Amino acid sequence: MAAYIQARNVNLTFRPPNRAPVRALGNFDIDVAEGEFVSIVGPSGCGKSTFLNILLGLIKPDSGDILMHGKKLSGPGTDRAMVFQDFGLLPWRTVEHNIELGLELKKVPAAKRRAIAARLSALVGLAGFEHHYPHELSGGMKQRVGLARALATDPDVLLMDEPFAALDAQTRDLMQVELLRVWREAKKTVLFVTHQIDEAIYLSDRVMVMSKRPGRAKKTFAIDLPRPREYEMRVTPQFNELKLEIWNTLKDEIVV
Amino acid sequence: MTEQTVIQPRLMGRYRNVVLGALAVVLFFAAWQAIFLVVPFNPLFISKPSLIAAGFVDLVASGELFDDLAVSAVPFFLGLGAAVVVGVPLGIVMGWRVRIGYALDPLMTIFYASPLVALAPLLVIFFGVGLPGKTIIVFSLAVFPFIFNACAGVRAVDRRLIDVVRSLGGGEWDLYRKVLLPSVLPFVVAGARIAIGRALIGVLVGEFFAASEGIGFAISRFGDLFAIDKMFACILTVMVIAVVLTEGIRFAERSAFPWRRGQ
Repeated sequence: MAAYIQARNVNLTFRPPNRAPVRALGNFDIDVAEGEFVSIVGPSGCGKSTFLNILLGLIKPDSGDILMHGKKLSGPGTDRAMVFQDFGLLPWRTVEHNIELGLELKKVPAAKRRAIAARLSALVGLAGFEHHYPHELSGGMKQRVGLARALATDPDVLLMDEPFAALDAQTRDLMQVELLRVWREAKKTVLFVTHQIDEAIYLSDRVMVMSKRPGRAKKTFAIDLPRPREYEMRVTPQFNELKLEIWNTLKDEIVV
Repeated sequence: MTEQTVIQPRLMGRYRNVVLGALAVVLFFAAWQAIFLVVPFNPLFISKPSLIAAGFVDLVASGELFDDLAVSAVPFFLGLGAAVVVGVPLGIVMGWRVRIGYALDPLMTIFYASPLVALAPLLVIFFGVGLPGKTIIVFSLAVFPFIFNACAGVRAVDRRLIDVVRSLGGGEWDLYRKVLLPSVLPFVVAGARIAIGRALIGVLVGEFFAASEGIGFAISRFGDLFAIDKMFACILTVMVIAVVLTEGIRFAERSAFPWRRGQ
């Protein structure tokens, strides 16, 4: 398995002014293959979202090597895009214009932007809502916009930072099904951060459990459930065994 | 049915609020008119609504009022426009480049808080009695609400949106155009309401000190001539214009920012 994303010994310490430094990541390693769907679960504050921000290019690690497609990572790039936890939609832009944001920044001509936005609206199930403002949408629909916006620049890697955490349980389940459908069609490498073990198993090819702060890779589980994944898989013995195994690995790391 | 019972009292309430407000204005003028039934009336020192109305009709008929207003409107709008063009970018930069903000904030606060009209005679000496002097007085009064509101708007920007634009490859200039400017616009419009009041003061003061035309000049000239009715007619006209402009902005606010509805 050729690693598409390869991170080695990534270290990062936050140094907030007038407060004790916080070691967020300690020798964190990960390998992700092209087209793979990998989830990271870990206790709150273990640095999993921080790692996504490093991959996104918004934060620089103190040390460590990150290779993407064999090339050293430097700053944000259009080969990666993030789906943010709180959607991060621009409230003054309609659905269509939110989806076009990354294309605008890339100076894609308007007609082409419009065409891409229309195609992606349809793909994520937003057809007919192109001219709505974010405040007119439900949480699930807002995140559909977030997903479409991330897909618009046609990145190789989708980074998803607890994208469904702000949604209610039923909407979240539906969005997981939708995400798998979109992933199958768009064929992206996905790195998905979540608190939910069920969500991680249901979606992923592999699930990595992180240690408590400073976060490092504790153990990685291969999820051998067949694809396409049916919703009913969540109640099979195999699914529940995995869930228990992952939970047992994770629970020692949780500090209450 | 339930919709109706919910909405009906609100509409009634809104309607009643307007009536109550209008009633207070009418009562004020009625009391003004009536008080001279008991207080002796001397037209050299005071006027009353009936005479003011007659004076207003005279001024409109002779065209004086509109000529003066037209003269005053030019420095008013030029100064206000310049205040927007300078104040909004300056405020955004002060809010976004934190060091620039810390450096300029005390100076700006001094200017904002102090009665700048006291400098009007000096500005007249520097720039003369014509359009430039008046425009500069208007600008110097109106620019500060734009600076401070734009600055406050930047500090209230949702930081995640900054991350979103950066992560999609946006540079500094993109942040200004695609996040900061749209975020601060509602703050700027709120600032405009304050700025309009200050700009009107600027026009009047500029024309009090030195001018040969304009509504401010008309007010001071009618005062000098003891034509108190016409003086009040001009003052009330300015008041009505101030109310129309500031309320007009409040009204425009609602339609200009459709994305703010329901927030």
